[in-house]
Parts: sequence; structure tokens; C-alpha cells
Amino acid sequence: MDPDAVAKAFVDHYYSTFDANRAGLGNLYQEGSMLTFEGQKIQGSQSIVAKLTSLPFQQCKHNITTVDCQPSGAGGVLVFVSGTLQLAGEQHALKFSQMFHLMPTPQGSFYVLNDIFRLNYA
Amino acid sequence: MEEQIDSVGKAFVDHYYHLFDTDRPALSSLYQPTSMLTFEGQKIQGVDDITSKLNQLPFDRCRHVISTIDSQPASVTGGIVVFVSGSIQLPGENHPLQFSQMFHLSPTLQGNLFVLNDIFRLNY
Repeated sequence: MDPDAVAKAFVDHYYSTFDANRAGLGNLYQEGSMLTFEGQKIQGSQSIVAKLTSLPFQQCKHNITTVDCQPSGAGGVLVFVSGTLQLAGEQHALKFSQMFHLMPTPQGSFYVLNDIFRLNYA
Repeated sequence: MEEQIDSVGKAFVDHYYHLFDTDRPALSSLYQPTSMLTFEGQKIQGVDDITSKLNQLPFDRCRHVISTIDSQPASVTGGIVVFVSGSIQLPGENHPLQFSQMFHLSPTLQGNLFVLNDIFRLNY
């Protein structure tokens, strides 16, 4: 398992799915998954998808600036992302940082066990 | 359980940045040979090389001011992920630098936590 390859594939898939069809993110999370979104804690795939699909914008586009990854032990991969988020109709893009802890599934792919998102204000 | 994770994360963050700002060599107590640091994209492995890197950063003094700390349990074995944002003030610099950092803390046999994974990025 090459953590860099896993991280790159995951980041590409995650943000393109987020930007095209947020509801499609559901199969990246499981019941034990945790999201902390701007300090709000949410647990489980259903609640996480409900939160993401109810964010107050229809369209958005993520531009990724940096991706760092490391193996976390037991086959897991930690991914640390920074970038910008452009919302439709907003003049200025928002800066964000996000970390994911990916764990392997029995089928050979990865799911998100831990997800923490923060906007970076100046 | 949730509050316990938060208080462990906060206690670690307070301790880590206090050491960083007052006694950087003492950070070696928080890392082990298996630890990994990615510092502004540079990958470093093991307590010795990590401590060298941090001790060689081009400033004698600094002050971290922490804005946000988010913690989650990372696995059934007792690991914790901690996500930090804040600013770092260097002496002589007009403006502090904004940064984000994530830690994956893992239990030692003695029941303490050490930094297994550490990723640091400035936020320009």
C-alpha cells in the first residue's frame, strides 16, 4: 500500500464527488465514522451525509493547494489537505484545512473513519 | 467519552506548544523511533531526526497562540487525532504566521500518549 497513491486518489475522488453530488459521499463513511465540521461533531454515515447535503449552498468548487499523508499504523492513512472553497455567487474563495483518517475495508478500498474540517480565517 | 477525548486533546496541545515555546529540545519526550513528521512538505522520521529538525528551525524564540482544537478517537486501540489551528509569532516579525497542524497520538506501553504522526502546514 502506497500512502501517497491512496491519499491522492482519495482526495481527487472526495472533492470531485463533493462538488458534483454531495449525496454521493455516503459510501465513503460508515457507522463509526466521525466528522467535526467547524467544531460541530457528527457521527455515522447517515448523519454526516445529512450535514453535508444541508450546507447552505447549492454549488461549490474546491481547489486543493496541499496534500500531505502518512501511514497511521494498522493499514490506515492520514491525509492533511489545505485549499480553497469557492461558493457560487461569492466574490472571494474561503480557505480551509481538512484532515482525514482513512481505514481499509475488507473489499480493499478505504473509508473515512475520522474527518475534521476547519475554515482558515485570516 | 467525548469530553474525555477533548480534554486529552487539549491537555496534549497545551503541553506540546508550551514545550515548543519554552524548551524545544524537550519535545523529544513526545516522539519515538516510529514517529513521522511532515513539516511544510518535508518528511522526517524518528525522534532523533524530528528533534533535530525542530531545534534547527531558523528562530530562537517563538510563541504559538492556539485558535481551535478538534479531537476525535482514532481507533479501538486508544489513539486520538488532534487538529489544531492558530498562529505563531516570531520575534522581530510584524505579523504572526497562521498555521494548521494535525497529530495522531498513540498509547505507549506505559499508558502515556506519544506523537506517532505529525503534519504541519503554514496557512498563507
